[in-house]
Amino acid sequence: MRSFSIFALLILLLSGCGSADDGRVKVRIWHQKIGAERAFFEDAIAAYNAAHTDRVVEILYRENEELRNLFITASVGGQGPELVFGPSDNVSIFALTESIRPITDVLPDSFLASFNEDGIVQWEGTPWFVADQVGNHLTYVYNKALMPSPPTTMDSLITILKQVQARDEVRYGLTWNYTEPFFFIPFLTCSGGWVMDEQGNPTLDNEATVRAIQFVLDLRDKHQLIPAQSDYNVAETLFKDQLAASIINGPWSWAGYSDAGVDYGLARIPRMDASSDWCAPVISAKGYAVNVNVNDEKLSYVHDLLVYLTGPEMQTRMAEEIATIPVIDAVRNAEVVQQNPVLQASLRQVEVGRPMPTAPQMRQIWDGMRGPYQLVMSGTISAEEGARRMQEEVEKRIADTFL
Amino acid sequence: MSEKTRFRLFLLFLLGPTIVLVLAVVAYPFFYNVVLSLSNMNIYHIRDWEVIGLQQYAAVAREPAFWSVFLKTIIWTGVNIVFHVGLGVFLAVLLHQKFIRGKSAWRVLLILPWALPQYITALTWRGMFTAEYGAIDIVWRQYLSLPAIEWLTQPGPAFAAAILTNIWLGFPFMMVIALGGLQSIPAELYEAADVDGASEWKKFWNITVPLLRPVMIPAITLGIVWTFNNINVVWLVSNGGEPNDQTHILVSYVYEAAFTMYRFGWAAALSMIIFFILFAFTQVLLKRTKATEAAY
Repeated sequence: MRSFSIFALLILLLSGCGSADDGRVKVRIWHQKIGAERAFFEDAIAAYNAAHTDRVVEILYRENEELRNLFITASVGGQGPELVFGPSDNVSIFALTESIRPITDVLPDSFLASFNEDGIVQWEGTPWFVADQVGNHLTYVYNKALMPSPPTTMDSLITILKQVQARDEVRYGLTWNYTEPFFFIPFLTCSGGWVMDEQGNPTLDNEATVRAIQFVLDLRDKHQLIPAQSDYNVAETLFKDQLAASIINGPWSWAGYSDAGVDYGLARIPRMDASSDWCAPVISAKGYAVNVNVNDEKLSYVHDLLVYLTGPEMQTRMAEEIATIPVIDAVRNAEVVQQNPVLQASLRQVEVGRPMPTAPQMRQIWDGMRGPYQLVMSGTISAEEGARRMQEEVEKRIADTFL
Repeated sequence: MSEKTRFRLFLLFLLGPTIVLVLAVVAYPFFYNVVLSLSNMNIYHIRDWEVIGLQQYAAVAREPAFWSVFLKTIIWTGVNIVFHVGLGVFLAVLLHQKFIRGKSAWRVLLILPWALPQYITALTWRGMFTAEYGAIDIVWRQYLSLPAIEWLTQPGPAFAAAILTNIWLGFPFMMVIALGGLQSIPAELYEAADVDGASEWKKFWNITVPLLRPVMIPAITLGIVWTFNNINVVWLVSNGGEPNDQTHILVSYVYEAAFTMYRFGWAAALSMIIFFILFAFTQVLLKRTKATEAAY
């Protein structure tokens, strides 16, 4: 233990003790913002730094999985940034590893009172996380030049896509990422399935999952409306090149479609005819958590920064400039949101979305579903085998985690 | 203070920084890993972990995927090394021939794959294997009219794609080493063989190969250890073991266990097993090939 302390002390000395060289207090944020949201964030931080001479905010981008893993490692080692930004499903893992401190340690109830229930994420009764937006949700995005009006049911989707695909310039009616099970969830929910029960046990080996997988396989093999193989980049490129008439993707991608010259529209992912259930994507908040290692001396700076980054003024600007859905009701009901057609379409999808579970098992569920989902989409295994292997893999991963 | 003591102090002064650095960045992490491999550290016991003996080692041995990943690692290492050495020595011998013009330019061109950062090469190759837009897929289907291969979505082709990428990356190192070795072989030996009427093949087999051996064996040993532990290429080309974790080698499997599943104790035990495998292999190889002995 003593040698560890000496080692930690050495690292601490080498790392400069969290103050900038010029004596300003340094506050670091690790984030996973991409595209237009990242550019907006960088501008906002630059403006904050310019307005404060006694402090400096440093931001560092990390890919989502890497962000979570490195933050836990750093925090357990007594290090890490003061703030971490990401989706709300990270909260339980951070709380479980005691990597973050309750958000109420930093932000007073008077400030948090203006947030709706999407904006403050709790786990086991404690609020850990304050959001600047809710969503992170998949939506049906269609090319208006190729498809004047979007389908509302899966049967009409098949009919419309067949008509669209009959045009020479269109290679596929629809596309999405086949490698991440996150993109499979809408099909699962409208087939009557879900990933876990209330106790956090996986619920994947059942008729609903088989129906969902079979529906997707029929789109590919029977109707030939989606590519035989696709990952995120292939799906994006097909849609941007206007070779695919529609795509299932999230808010982070929309600005890129405008930039690529695609006249796009947003609609709810269609509902399944048999059940009349909407194909519901998972929705989650995105926001900030505070490193458990932040000392009391720095808390006031972190408080000030969080108020700036998540307050009504910032959420208004974000809604206006990058079309995020605010988590402060006063902002959500304001004209800037109500008059924005993209945000209204996005909100309509959110209305039928399923909240992302915050249970720590969600990690094993995503990881356990991923492999069988990929095998299903590559045609290696059947729908029944896919459902069975998803369940087995998730159960094994949950059991393994305890060893 | 005697001259001898002063000399010893001087030596200590020179070696001190190195000793401190080696202790800090090699010895401490190694022994910490040994302790972790005997512990129950995981996501639920990341702060309150305790030593539980050899349970994690037993769990590694019981894990069915361990043996298939181990087999894949051996295939990965074996195929890569055979091609690295085969291609490397072949190109080095070719470049060593008198009739080759513009040797410097060829050398630079052939070293390029090695000079580029691994992750750029790996991601470029992944892009080339991609369906719909990948160069390999397009050439394969459109120009050669061959049936499409689902390079990145089927386990076998995905593993082959990672191996092909690593062969591309690895042969220049062996070529450079072999070129150095070839230049140190006295020309008189070939002249004497010419006088005796030896064929080109006999000269290669009886002069070049034995005299290249002392240079190549340590390089091959290093190559085996590097390839066995090369997480970058297999991870980036297969996007973390896709599809369905079927393209892992042991090191990527360890990485996933530690940083995706947070099974730190289990991953530490597996990494110790990898260490022992490589340590034993290196000792046996160096002893059997007498690689550290002089050639002349």
